[in-house]
Amino acid sequence: MSKMSLSTRMILVLTLITVLSGGILAGWDTITKPKIAFHRQEALKAAIGDVLPAHDTYTREETEFGTIYIAIATRDSSEHLVGIAFMAVGSGFQGELRIMVGLSPDMTQLTGIKVLEQIETPGLGTKIVVDPSNKQDPYWFPAQFRGVHLSPEIVVIKNAKPTRNNEVQGITGATISSKAVTNILNDQIAHIKTVWPSKGGPES
Amino acid sequence: MSSTLSLKTEFIKGIWKENPVMASLLGLCPTLAVTNAANNGLAMGLATTFVLLSSSLMISALRNFIPHQVRIAGYIVIIATFVTVADRFLAAYFPVISASLGPYIPLIVVNCLILGRQEAFSSRNGIGRSLLDSLGMGIGFIIVLVVLGIIREILGSGSIFGIAILGDWFTPWMVMILPPGAFLTLGILIALANWYNDPSRSKERGTVS
Amino acid sequence: MSYFLIFFSAAIVNNFVLAYFLGICPFVGVSKRVSSAVSMGMAVTFVMLITAVVTWLIYHLILVPFDVVILQYVSFILVIASLVQLVEMFIRKVSKPLYDTLGIFLPLITTNCAILGLALFSVLRDYSFMESVVFGLGAGAGFTLALVIMAGIREELELAPVPKYFQGAAITMIVAGGLALAFMGFAGMI
Repeated sequence: MSKMSLSTRMILVLTLITVLSGGILAGWDTITKPKIAFHRQEALKAAIGDVLPAHDTYTREETEFGTIYIAIATRDSSEHLVGIAFMAVGSGFQGELRIMVGLSPDMTQLTGIKVLEQIETPGLGTKIVVDPSNKQDPYWFPAQFRGVHLSPEIVVIKNAKPTRNNEVQGITGATISSKAVTNILNDQIAHIKTVWPSKGGPES
Repeated sequence: MSSTLSLKTEFIKGIWKENPVMASLLGLCPTLAVTNAANNGLAMGLATTFVLLSSSLMISALRNFIPHQVRIAGYIVIIATFVTVADRFLAAYFPVISASLGPYIPLIVVNCLILGRQEAFSSRNGIGRSLLDSLGMGIGFIIVLVVLGIIREILGSGSIFGIAILGDWFTPWMVMILPPGAFLTLGILIALANWYNDPSRSKERGTVS
Repeated sequence: MSYFLIFFSAAIVNNFVLAYFLGICPFVGVSKRVSSAVSMGMAVTFVMLITAVVTWLIYHLILVPFDVVILQYVSFILVIASLVQLVEMFIRKVSKPLYDTLGIFLPLITTNCAILGLALFSVLRDYSFMESVVFGLGAGAGFTLALVIMAGIREELELAPVPKYFQGAAITMIVAGGLALAFMGFAGMI
């Protein structure tokens, strides 16, 4: 050790530490990677399951808009299209919102939405995900999107129950968050329609 | 006899007298950022303690081999390695906690508390002593994070560790789980600690009792 | 997201210091004089800009193609630490007055979580190269803004009768809480 010059020793020790670190991490990577990939897959499956009616499997298709998930149910030994899902991304009140959106096969109504990522104001804007102050139905806001019609577009109404089939009720005190959700949906569904032709009819 | 006593103080000092957050103001970033709920604070405290312990173990073992000039670079690599281990562990086995802490787990790398202990303690002391020091500091850190988390969660969400304890009559103080609540709560806690530690006050108390 | 939105969000609405708690250490330690706060802010912004460029290149040209994303934290922090050293040496060689203003703050920057936070957030949000650069600038501007406002308030605080037990770090936290509250008013502008 004493014969080595200081700079050789510096290089040697740092190299050793880095090699050791690389070794530990390479081993750890092989252990954890499959588990992390599994959780991602499960989370995606759960989100798609939440926004689309019951289905047996789904396939993915890459479009210029992004990935579209096509859900298929097997009934009477033949495959039926149940709906399609995709991730809609846009600006919320304070930052980006990522919403999993489910559409009916004919693309005239929503089958459900789920906000996966958001940084809205806790207690107000976060009601787009869950509303703990509503004990009977904490998921009332996202639930209203199930079956809502898309033509001409989804509309938020304030302080009143929706009367038309394309309306949803806004969150009191978080109108911007509510409108952000519908704006993202309206905007991105219009995009999706340009790359994914609607499969009209319930039993196509 | 004297050595066991000093080992004990080595461990105890991090919990109150030299508490990393309250006394030295180290690791404020995670302290403020993740304490909007008690279990987030606990998870962050445990992850930080793990990194602190494993880096201390490695650095105190290698302390005679690492040349003085490149010690910081060496420490940083070691710390970042264990942070990656902790981050991946949470992502693989506790995906929900991992998602709620987000980038604050990797930010343990730059938690001044960890580098500070290596520089001030582990690089100069044996393995046993360094581990005791780190354990004490880690526990001190966990306590502050959990206390802060509990206060903010009770006032901000009416619950502790996710279990609702305050009934419907309680309107949550939203501000407590927002960033301002973090600053205000920590400020008041530091002031309380100052009051508690005030020598003139304890003298008063001494004469009365 | 447009460049303007990214800049505005990082600088004001989701201010690095007051909303994400990144860079709290210098915020508490350095922000006692407006002049040193400005210098610190400039040094951080400068390092952030370089960090945004270099870490983006490392992540997208080395870590992802070679499938070694697990080395992200180790490589980022090493690069940041070396960058800060290089910048310090460079400034010392090139400009003495600049070194005198910024130089003493540079070693503090390595353990400034705002720098690593910047690199992590831009990977997490999948920013393009230009978006990362704009994000770096915005975050630097936001950091400088928070630091300068804080320093201004603390200069005034020296003359104020702060209760005994609140002096020092405690009152800094309380003031920061007030600032964070004020900055929340910008939410909804993006």
